[in-house]
Amino acid sequence: MGIEQVQTAALERILAASTAEELEAVRVESLGRKGALAQFSKEFGKLTPEQRSAAGKSLNAAKEALEAAFEAKKTAFDRAALDQRLNAEWLDITLPAPGIRPGSLHPVTQIQNEIEDLFTSLGFAILDGPEVETEYHNFDALNIPADHPARDMQDTFWLDGGNLLRTHTSPVQVRGMQTLPLPLRMIAPGRVFRNEEVDASHEHTFYQLEGMMIDREVSVANLTYFMKTLLGSIFRREVTVRLRPGYFPFVEPGFELDIRCLICGGPGCPVCKQSGWVELLPCGLIHPAVLRKNGIDPDEWGGFAFGLGLTRLAMMRYGIDDIRHLLGGDLRFLNQF
Amino acid sequence: MKFSYNWLREMVPGLKLDPAALERLITIKTAECEGVEVVGSLLPTASVARVLSVQPIAESHNRKAVVETERYGQKTVVCGAPNCRVGLRTVYAPVGLKNIGGVESDGMLASGSELGVNQDHAGIVELAEGASIPGEPDHVIEVDNKSLTHRPDLWGHLGMAREVAAIAHGRLQNPVQLDLLPEGEPAILVEIADLALCPRYSALVFENATVQPSPLWVQYRLESIGLNPINNIVDVTNLLAAELAQPTHAFDADRLHGSTIFVRRAEAGEKFAALNHETYELNPSNLVIADAQGAVAIAGVMGGLHSAIDGSTTRIVFESANFQASSVRKTSTQLKLRTDASMRFEKSQDPVNTTRALARAIELLRDVSPGIRLVGGVADVKAEPKTQPVIELSVAWLTRKLGRAVTSGEVRGILEALEFGVTEETAGVLQVTVPTWRATKDVSMKDDLLEEVGRMIGYDAIAPQAPSVLATPPLVNPERLFLRRLRQMASAQGFTEVYNYSFLSEDAVRRFGMHPEDHLRVTNPIASDQTLMRLSLLPGIWKNITQNSRHLASFRFFEIGREIHPRPAGLPDEAPHLMAVVYSREGDGSAGLFELKHLAECLMPGAAVESAEASEVEHPQRSGRVEWRGEAVGRLFELHPALGVEGRAAILDLDLRHVQRLEVLQTVKYQPLRRYPTSAFDLSVVVLLREPAGAIERRLRTSAGTDLVAIEFVRQYVGAPLAENQKSVSYRITIGAPDRTLASDEVTAVRDRVIEAVRQAGYQLRI
Repeated sequence: MGIEQVQTAALERILAASTAEELEAVRVESLGRKGALAQFSKEFGKLTPEQRSAAGKSLNAAKEALEAAFEAKKTAFDRAALDQRLNAEWLDITLPAPGIRPGSLHPVTQIQNEIEDLFTSLGFAILDGPEVETEYHNFDALNIPADHPARDMQDTFWLDGGNLLRTHTSPVQVRGMQTLPLPLRMIAPGRVFRNEEVDASHEHTFYQLEGMMIDREVSVANLTYFMKTLLGSIFRREVTVRLRPGYFPFVEPGFELDIRCLICGGPGCPVCKQSGWVELLPCGLIHPAVLRKNGIDPDEWGGFAFGLGLTRLAMMRYGIDDIRHLLGGDLRFLNQF
Repeated sequence: MKFSYNWLREMVPGLKLDPAALERLITIKTAECEGVEVVGSLLPTASVARVLSVQPIAESHNRKAVVETERYGQKTVVCGAPNCRVGLRTVYAPVGLKNIGGVESDGMLASGSELGVNQDHAGIVELAEGASIPGEPDHVIEVDNKSLTHRPDLWGHLGMAREVAAIAHGRLQNPVQLDLLPEGEPAILVEIADLALCPRYSALVFENATVQPSPLWVQYRLESIGLNPINNIVDVTNLLAAELAQPTHAFDADRLHGSTIFVRRAEAGEKFAALNHETYELNPSNLVIADAQGAVAIAGVMGGLHSAIDGSTTRIVFESANFQASSVRKTSTQLKLRTDASMRFEKSQDPVNTTRALARAIELLRDVSPGIRLVGGVADVKAEPKTQPVIELSVAWLTRKLGRAVTSGEVRGILEALEFGVTEETAGVLQVTVPTWRATKDVSMKDDLLEEVGRMIGYDAIAPQAPSVLATPPLVNPERLFLRRLRQMASAQGFTEVYNYSFLSEDAVRRFGMHPEDHLRVTNPIASDQTLMRLSLLPGIWKNITQNSRHLASFRFFEIGREIHPRPAGLPDEAPHLMAVVYSREGDGSAGLFELKHLAECLMPGAAVESAEASEVEHPQRSGRVEWRGEAVGRLFELHPALGVEGRAAILDLDLRHVQRLEVLQTVKYQPLRRYPTSAFDLSVVVLLREPAGAIERRLRTSAGTDLVAIEFVRQYVGAPLAENQKSVSYRITIGAPDRTLASDEVTAVRDRVIEAVRQAGYQLRI
């Protein structure tokens, strides 16, 4: 057999191979060190230089052709093997994943975190204060003397020993004024207590966030600016705010801040009781007596303060219609957030 | 407090604002309004009518009446009122044709309550000859009392009318005519024991009074603001309070003993029968009005039963006094007796107002009780009047505080409309005199005037403005950040956050092995099961487990809250704790404990649990102390089955202040990556079943020496061929040196050393 016949025969067998093993056998027999083509080169010595050159060329051509055919066939076998494996590895990934689902943070925590982040970015420090307070910090230092009508006994939980459960986060303002250097900007979120009967809209335990800024020049216009920024961030949209007179002994002037009803936008609806406005938070310029009581000269410094109901905001944000859920500990409720 | 729009408009003639617009403006500029209500809507069409005939209707209590009306001619109506009789002068309302029990009725005869003029629904109105009916419906604006706390003047219509005049740029017409006050010696003497408690007591004596129902206009006025008409004399006292904010009281002069009124402290145990038919036992902190025999009124709160006006009264002592706000407030709180008078006095009323009210009383009494006569002059005992405060107000300061430019003209206009006195000797600096009715407590400094100017300009006229302040980073609050990180970590690990109350009951405390007397106690708890401040989060957590296990077969949750630990003096210690729970109704409970241990390790890398004696709420064989960096920081345990939870609840309790302190101590320092290969070998240690693995590992660790890289737990094995009370615990020990590869004899030496230590500890090795 000449080179060409060997090539033709091997080529046929390569094409006809039905398994990788069969193909490998053909390769060894035709292209291997002891294969059919190798036999030809052993006989080159007997040839004239011209014949040798011609035989060498045809031998190389045969090798290349066979190798190419072999590679092509091998690639096809590899691909088929891979396809088969892949096909065999079908997995139903629509099955539920094992493992633990993340839990959730309390809705009040979530709102509180958001507001803390906002105020931190505006340069406000976050302060903590005790839940059990002295009468002085909760009332006297805030310009609410003992016989003041704002200090109605029925609203305060008193404790043996004469202390009380703070009725607002405002005592942390007092602690802030006593410890922080001026000028100061601070907020104080936390749990507060009022001696009130519990129903769908009243709780004796709820959460507030108190804020205060003291600087050389602080105006009503500055207060409005911060409140607008705060509320725009909380409600994630532009809000219209208005101030109207409100009475709180620790601010002068004192305001109630309303926002334009987010449901109806102003014409009136059941949520805003047809007024177009929703009362949101009390605020005001810090009363000079409060500054003075805490060692700050009201002729040199001034400031604003505000109180935000975190519980109320959480209820507004999530549409919660019963305040009792918040401290009810029912995971069917809490897991929704 | 309810305000009658008609009443306000009488004092601000020409008021153009309708009730709804007025309500909005009062809310924005003065005090929060809660709505407008229409009363007397039948009045505009009602007509005076005389009953001409009355005929019975068969099988009905109703009767058919023919009436002659002043406005609509003759009408036939069906009327059920027992007082419907021929000749009666009454009120007809054209409410349309109606068929009542087969008889046609063209309109109706109205009762006082149907007209909205009083609450009388026993019969139709009986009009005296010459009496007219009020022609107008009224609008009542209700103002939130809380927003009037600081404004004694707004507890009367005159005060509100002053605001309305300022808001609407109208003119205030004050109804008080002081020249009505009589000159001369008073017919009654007054003695005040303590002028601080009663800064002023004024009184007048009247005779020839006739006690009868008030004219309809008076009844209507009282009715529209929510007060019951009683009789003409009492109604006048109520009108005065509602108009001038000055509470007054009328005594039947013939039932007072002696000719002197005493204002004094009550005697200890002094009994007092009040107008409301209750008897109060008083004490010296209560101020009383007394005659020669005893108390006839609790000062500023309520009059007495025995000296009250009734149908037989002809002579009246009319009191108009001023009492100290805090004293009235204390008495009213103590006796649980809040009245229209006490509510006003506790806001600090103006002592100047007492005689104004008397002047107005003279006018009103003459109207409601024709023929009534004054006896003598005004009795008037008072403390030295306070000088009216004058406040210096800089217009530039106002501009800075408001953040909006104001002019002296603008400021002056506003303050004068509110009846402040204003002079300007230096340009831009105003001297402001505070009117007496604003000077009792409300306005005393320039900041108070800032409010007056701000609200009347309208805060909406002030554009929001960012402040110019130094941009400084805020102080960091490490505790907040720490707690926030814990919350994030716990929720990422599958735990849901709960909040529980700070209050516990005595029973709950005892159930968890604590003592009520160790707790801080609430003096005025809202309920008997909320008397103690929590010393542990566990009772709340237990309740969460119990309640949720009714709905869910397994769950995880946590709370971060404060334990309140009383201290001998000062404020209690508030210790933040984290309590996390894994509950499962099924299973042996071990998974939950290890999940919590994992959580602890996530929160505190390297944390360990050491066996420790169980408390009575802990499963005695499943409890341990959580340690971190060599200190005990909490507990890990399964809830004791005796606590009645079906299924198993694993609990992790961490003292967070302790954890945070240890965390702060930590500073991470980079270790170079290992450049030389390490060697590892496995050891299986056979020990008694209840030998803690932690102890074995500690032994391995200390004996391995400085070349130790890691000890890794591989598995635990129980069963053949081991004895029944044994287990085998396997570890892979990796060793290496930072600067070279350990030679095989060095590795062998470490291994031998570890094996020797294991044997010395009395453990066996399983090869």
